[in-house]
Amino acid sequence: MMNMLLRGAAFAALLAVAGDLKAQTLKMWGPEQITEPLIAELWKGIKADFEAANPGVKVEFIPPTGTISNGAVQAALQSDAGPDVVLTNSGIGRITVVKNAKLVAPLTAQYENRGWKGKIYPWLYTELKGQFGGEIYEVPDGLDALGVWYHKDMFAQKGWAIPKTWQDFVTLMKKIDAAGVQPLAIGPRTTGSAGHLFGNLLQSASGTAAVGKAVGGKLSWTDPTMVTGAVRLRELVDAGLIKKEMAGLDLEGASRLWFTKRAAMFVAGPWFTANARKAGYDLANAGYAPMPSDLAGESKPTGGVGWSWLLPANSKQPELALKWIDFMLSDAVMKKRAQHAASTMIYPRELPGIEPPTPVLKDIFAAAAKGVGYNPSVYLPGSVLDTYFQVIQGLISAQITGEQGMAEIQAKMAAAQ
Amino acid sequence: MNMAKSESMAGAGRGNAARSRAGRSREDVRLAGDGAGSALLLMAPALAVYAVFTLFPIAVTFWLSFTDSNGFNTDAGFVGLENYRKAAADPILWQSLWQTLLWLVYHVVLAGGLGLGLALAIARLRRSQVFFRTAFFLPHLVSLAVVGVIWANIYDPFFGLLNTSLVAIGLGGWTQGWLSDPSLVLFSVNVASSWQGFGLYMLLFIAGLQDIDPSLYDAAEVDGASAFQKLVYVTLPGLREVMTFVMSLAMINGLKGFATVFVMTNGGPFYQSELITTYIYRLAFQSQDHGLAAVLCILLSVLAITITVVFNKWRARLSR
Repeated sequence: MMNMLLRGAAFAALLAVAGDLKAQTLKMWGPEQITEPLIAELWKGIKADFEAANPGVKVEFIPPTGTISNGAVQAALQSDAGPDVVLTNSGIGRITVVKNAKLVAPLTAQYENRGWKGKIYPWLYTELKGQFGGEIYEVPDGLDALGVWYHKDMFAQKGWAIPKTWQDFVTLMKKIDAAGVQPLAIGPRTTGSAGHLFGNLLQSASGTAAVGKAVGGKLSWTDPTMVTGAVRLRELVDAGLIKKEMAGLDLEGASRLWFTKRAAMFVAGPWFTANARKAGYDLANAGYAPMPSDLAGESKPTGGVGWSWLLPANSKQPELALKWIDFMLSDAVMKKRAQHAASTMIYPRELPGIEPPTPVLKDIFAAAAKGVGYNPSVYLPGSVLDTYFQVIQGLISAQITGEQGMAEIQAKMAAAQ
Repeated sequence: MNMAKSESMAGAGRGNAARSRAGRSREDVRLAGDGAGSALLLMAPALAVYAVFTLFPIAVTFWLSFTDSNGFNTDAGFVGLENYRKAAADPILWQSLWQTLLWLVYHVVLAGGLGLGLALAIARLRRSQVFFRTAFFLPHLVSLAVVGVIWANIYDPFFGLLNTSLVAIGLGGWTQGWLSDPSLVLFSVNVASSWQGFGLYMLLFIAGLQDIDPSLYDAAEVDGASAFQKLVYVTLPGLREVMTFVMSLAMINGLKGFATVFVMTNGGPFYQSELITTYIYRLAFQSQDHGLAAVLCILLSVLAITITVVFNKWRARLSR
């Protein structure tokens, strides 16, 4: 009798364990472009490696329907049937939205407990610590470095080169325009694309320190130091060097202009390699340089944290999610990703001896190594972002002046503070 | 005597009729009383669905408009009329309100007008009417989001069908930044939206045209009426009922405008195509300001109710 009871208990325990194992599914939101075959191949490999290292665990990808910017991440998290771990485009502006909504869990303690602190650049850790009074809600997965992309063959053929000063850059744009080519394409209907060019112009005109203070609310956007970038954009529009019609383009439409060589330059980050590959553009022909600046040492890409891992407050598998982040920060995975042909970003720590898969990425890494300026799209508070993007559209469609645009942004900044 | 008899008979008749009415009314009351419980029981599922999916959200929206809710926090604080004050002082709200009214007018004129025009053009066709009716109705089956993507490509200033066609036929000077020109953008997006909507209105007008008595046209012909006179004095008056219905429908659809704007311009450039609906979405799901978004929802509802009531009164007066 006792024997039977013991057998029954053992069987029940086995069932419980089996049930528990079955429940070990980690639902992951992301990455973007997971439907692209090359990217899918990379992530399927990572998934298989993680499942092999964690027997009984299954990883399920949820193809993202959007980002924090369009509310898709928030909707997924609030459904309570959403992902256990999220990879999305981030930055303080976006993280503020989900943090204030209490949709994501703080990860500060994990940085110490799990050694994440030593797995990202020290300056990056310091920056994250300074954002929410010492509390950290994200783990950086990739950094952005936005600069000017150009066609090597077109520039070589015409004898053009990206110059060092702003004035020379304007002269170059005039030459390109005279040759019947659009000097610079932009698709501000996609908010990010609007911010990429504008952030570069602000960096070039005002420098990292000023933009850093402005996004942090410590310098008025109407300060003459800050207004110059907006005034320059409007001047380019008025001179026909950036066509007003571009205000009606999105990222795809603007990229099409560049890929078909109807536009000579485009402002984008390392992720643009994925768009280029999809469009069949020969990446060996892509050149990259930071936006020229008259300020010494300020000709550098803009960027910041581009993509991050977040732990939803209602994650059904929080421990497994942390394990997954550990895994993603490991040398093996990071090197595998950095060397893969689908690699499209700068990683959150130095990876010595890694050869980027595309030549243009090498140029981007080299430019970023000298330092990266602020991309306000990433750093501005969420409630200011919409105004920021609308102002850029207003400048490109020549509806407002640089001064008016900056006054609009400053008014929103004041309200946000 | 006869008169008296007949009066008395009439009185008796009235009495019987009155008693009969009273009896029927009592019976009705009894029947109603008997059936009320069953009726309530039968209606309960529908009432429950209505309460959960309509009445409850309306009540929550009202409540939200007095809070600082970000849509997720359960500890949203009561802020009184602060959101209403913010709304009144928000210039984008007033701009989007004006643009919503403009959008509505564009939709009624473009979608309603095109629907009427095409209905008139194909109503008399015998063999090919089915083909044209189907062909013109097809856009209505396409989702507005897809319509937005298609038309955004048509409007592309550099590669789009519209500008390249204009250049191809020697009208290069007419090319425009259809989605970037502040004075054009709302109209351009509305064309896309109306293109999707006119098919339904066209079908309603065709149904209305089929109801007009053909002898009226024969009579007009005998009187020597021209085609234009027949249109003005026979067709349009005959379509009055359908027209008012189509107008109500078009106005409601106009107020609901969202998807094409969201896909094609996201309210830009610089708020020039912002509608109340897109602004609500932006406030609620991008800025997470659910309190202010709730105020705008209430404003939109008031606007819809006002327009409907005024229009119905005008329609009632017209039909008198």
